[in-house]
Amino acid sequence: MTVREGWHPIAASDDLPAGHIYAAQLCDVPLAVWRGQDGTVNVWEDRCPHRGVRFTIGSIHGDELRCQYHAWRFRSGSGACSAIPAHPTRKPSSAIRATLFPGVERDGLVWTKLAGDQDAPPQLDYAGAVLRAIAVNCTAQAIEIAIARAPLPGVRLFVQPVSFARAVIRGLAEDVSRLAEHDAALERLRRGLERAAA
Amino acid sequence: MILYDYPPLAECYAVRLLAALLDVPLEIRSLDYYPGREHETDEYLDIAPLGSVPALDTGTAVLGDWQAALIHLAAHHDATGQWLPLGDPDRLVAIHEWLAVARALAHSAGVARLHELIGQPAVIERCRTEAHRLLRHLERHLWFGERAGRRWLVEGEQPTIADIAVFVQVILCEEGGVSRLDYPAVRRWIDSVRGIRGFVVTSGVLPLDPTAPVHTLA
Repeated sequence: MTVREGWHPIAASDDLPAGHIYAAQLCDVPLAVWRGQDGTVNVWEDRCPHRGVRFTIGSIHGDELRCQYHAWRFRSGSGACSAIPAHPTRKPSSAIRATLFPGVERDGLVWTKLAGDQDAPPQLDYAGAVLRAIAVNCTAQAIEIAIARAPLPGVRLFVQPVSFARAVIRGLAEDVSRLAEHDAALERLRRGLERAAA
Repeated sequence: MILYDYPPLAECYAVRLLAALLDVPLEIRSLDYYPGREHETDEYLDIAPLGSVPALDTGTAVLGDWQAALIHLAAHHDATGQWLPLGDPDRLVAIHEWLAVARALAHSAGVARLHELIGQPAVIERCRTEAHRLLRHLERHLWFGERAGRRWLVEGEQPTIADIAVFVQVILCEEGGVSRLDYPAVRRWIDSVRGIRGFVVTSGVLPLDPTAPVHTLA
């Protein structure tokens, strides 16, 4: 699919516990998302620059992500390669690094962008609880049209385009005690969209 | 105890995994399930009349159902009683619900995987659609469980055989073309299971790095 410009939510803050590498996808680009020791949110292409193995099957060691295949290590923040175990005495070239995308955490959601000029994700000023992400087998546009036609009260919703015919609904609820109720409403929306797309 | 085993099968892995966690030694008899179809031979049908794999010979009976084997191991070889809390009817019922989901996953995600691995006939798209329906159910349960302070499938501080039965199906599902991308709470629960002391791997399963920190929900 064509890359959509601008910021999109790709995870919830809760999806990034220490030591976990979170797998996401935005506009066909697979992403490895993880938190450094100082809280830095790293959004990297899910692909080791060495042999192309997914970073998301690797592991976190302190402030570094270690690739599962040859144990090359990449530093939080810069994405620079810091160690190549097969060459223990040689300092890795500064040209070896993960492909980075910007990562911004705001209102409990983690945002990134693949392209575009906007400096930051939208400022919501919306204190709320993060809804469970709902993946839907339909286009992002179909979800956006459905949400615009029949807005759900008490929530702010965003759409993460995953691939041409898949997208994830993310959002915030005003009232944390209504999370289950909103979840059921979003599941109904998902079923309706998928029936229409089938 | 003798386990009649075909290593690639998730159901065989379940029995080996629980036996390892309980520190129960198994005598493994490997079957040439594919391409030899040894489970259809007269010799094997004399042992396990339905030709089921795995089969667990407990010394007093041959259990031809993998979940029966899990129940046997937990009921007889777990001094702590954590894996199958026989004295707690509500948790037993909840365990049974998840064993049913595990079986449904075997018949969908598992069949899709065997289709990819050894060419077993399958209506592959239907299998994958059904697997995703089950994974969505699992994801919702685990996500709300995290918010309620519940780490395992069934209420309680410790994992049960329900976690083992569902885990072996879910951890291998991507080999059948069923992606776990949409299921972040399932992936965190997978890490919890891999972090259980005594956890063993099988082909296609990576160990949780022992030097990595324990995961906790912020």
